[in-house]
Amino acid sequence: MKRTNTQKVKLGLFVIFGTIIFVVAVYLIGQRQNMFDKTYTISSYFQNVNGLQRGNNVRYSGINIGTVRDINMLNDSTIRVDMNIQEGIIAHIKKNAIATIGSDGLVGNMIVNIVPGRGESELINDGDIIESFSKIGADDILSTLSVGSENAAILTADLLDVTSAMLNGKGTVGLLLNDTVMAQDLKSSVKNLKTASYHASQTIDELKDIIASLKTNDDSVLGMIMNDTISGERLKNVVVNLENSSLEIEKVIAQTNELIAETKESQGAYNYLVKDTSLVNGLKSTLKNIDEGTAKFNENMEALKHNFLFRGYFKKLEREQKKEAKQLAN
Amino acid sequence: MKGLQNIKSRILKFLIETGDIATFTSRFFSEVAKRPFEVKELLRQCYQMGNKSLLLVGITGFIIGLVLTLQTRPTLMEFGAESWMPSMVGISIVREIGPIITALVCAGRIGSGIGAELGSMRVTEQIDAMEVSGTNPFKYLVVTRVLAVTLMLPLLVLFGDAIALFGSYLVENLKGDVSFMLYFNKVFDALEFGDIIPATIKSFFFGLAIGIVGCYKGYNCKKGTEGVGKAANSAVVLTSLLLFVIDFIAVFVTDIFYDL
Repeated sequence: MKRTNTQKVKLGLFVIFGTIIFVVAVYLIGQRQNMFDKTYTISSYFQNVNGLQRGNNVRYSGINIGTVRDINMLNDSTIRVDMNIQEGIIAHIKKNAIATIGSDGLVGNMIVNIVPGRGESELINDGDIIESFSKIGADDILSTLSVGSENAAILTADLLDVTSAMLNGKGTVGLLLNDTVMAQDLKSSVKNLKTASYHASQTIDELKDIIASLKTNDDSVLGMIMNDTISGERLKNVVVNLENSSLEIEKVIAQTNELIAETKESQGAYNYLVKDTSLVNGLKSTLKNIDEGTAKFNENMEALKHNFLFRGYFKKLEREQKKEAKQLAN
Repeated sequence: MKGLQNIKSRILKFLIETGDIATFTSRFFSEVAKRPFEVKELLRQCYQMGNKSLLLVGITGFIIGLVLTLQTRPTLMEFGAESWMPSMVGISIVREIGPIITALVCAGRIGSGIGAELGSMRVTEQIDAMEVSGTNPFKYLVVTRVLAVTLMLPLLVLFGDAIALFGSYLVENLKGDVSFMLYFNKVFDALEFGDIIPATIKSFFFGLAIGIVGCYKGYNCKKGTEGVGKAANSAVVLTSLLLFVIDFIAVFVTDIFYDL
């Protein structure tokens, strides 16, 4: 009897512990699917859910806060995803939160990520719908990659054409690669360039020397300008004086201009001389009369020479002139 | 011609045995609900089959968990996916390895035990004596044993799963640096009702198969000492085979209901 009772106790413990393991396992699994907590339901509309399934985790800022409750196709491009969210977390989610579908690790399950929206907004309520954002899926990446690889194939084909053309000596680059004469020319050009650069460097050296000598030699004009501070001061003074002189000249010119203008406009002798044409005409006729008068006077004088009263004087004058000429000839 | 006859007789024998087992099973179901209930004997059998098998199941489960983790770890490390170890080991143990290993161990221990016990009772004509004395030997011997193993096996499976996961955790903790909390969090993150419920239901059928086949073989044992050995042996062989068939069907059905 006692033995049987011990057996019964042991069996009871066995059964109880076995049942506890089962119940705990079921509870833990159920808890992770939010079966025993009060939950709120929020929804979001997506165009592509990338293989999301019922029971997948929902995360808010990286924390597991619930599971996907249901996924329904509303029309050809809209899928409604309902999510069970834990009661405790609902006080932190605002209406401007955004739901995205991502993957848990590189090869992990799909998850819904809810990220907080920017700015202020009201807290979310049971049954609310939040905005969704579709990330680039693996398919999109692959299609982009395929376009990229196609382009790469075209590029390589083109490159192949270019290189074969180059090898065959077509085009400028091909000519460069294959034409030996051009290569020789290039070589000589480079040689010339080398020589030119050598000469240029020599010239620069010489220029350097000149500049150095200018710096040290105060006897030359430039050296004096560059180095002699006293001369520099003097030069400065000269320039200042020149400036002053030019200003003075300017003033004088201005005054002269004023004077001329006044002279032009005034009724003085100058104006009368310059502008009065009757005076010119009078002068002209006067000069003409004088011309005529002198011609007639010359005639009179010639007639006077032949007059007996003055003939002796003129003969005497001729003799003296001859005498002077004779003396000069000797 | 003789060979063809041989095949024909084998097929016939197989069909007859299948029919006999089916009849035996239906008799079990008809007797199980009938009074009087042999509760005392049932509890004794539960103790014998449950408690006494726990050590064996525990050791097997512990080693399976340990070995599975040790063997899988290097491969997962190559991908840098050691963090997936708890989920992977958890799912494989709870879904498949736990139930099937526990059932096979129990088939060896319990199935052969029932076959040998009932076989020797049949050989020594104790069953006949019971019939004569007015006691229903089927009710007293078969129903209690089948019921006991059917009820105890799921519990043994749960113990086996828990111990196997603990063994796996020990390796993970020694080789890596995973805390108890993190390990079991990851295990239960990966597990779903679709893993644990079908596995538990499957375990009931495993227990039923072990009990029915063991009892059938022992109850219908041929005369002689040789018959007892044969009964025990064939009980284990047939049960093991049947376990895999049931497992296949169970996975098939689970796949339909849970969309694995």
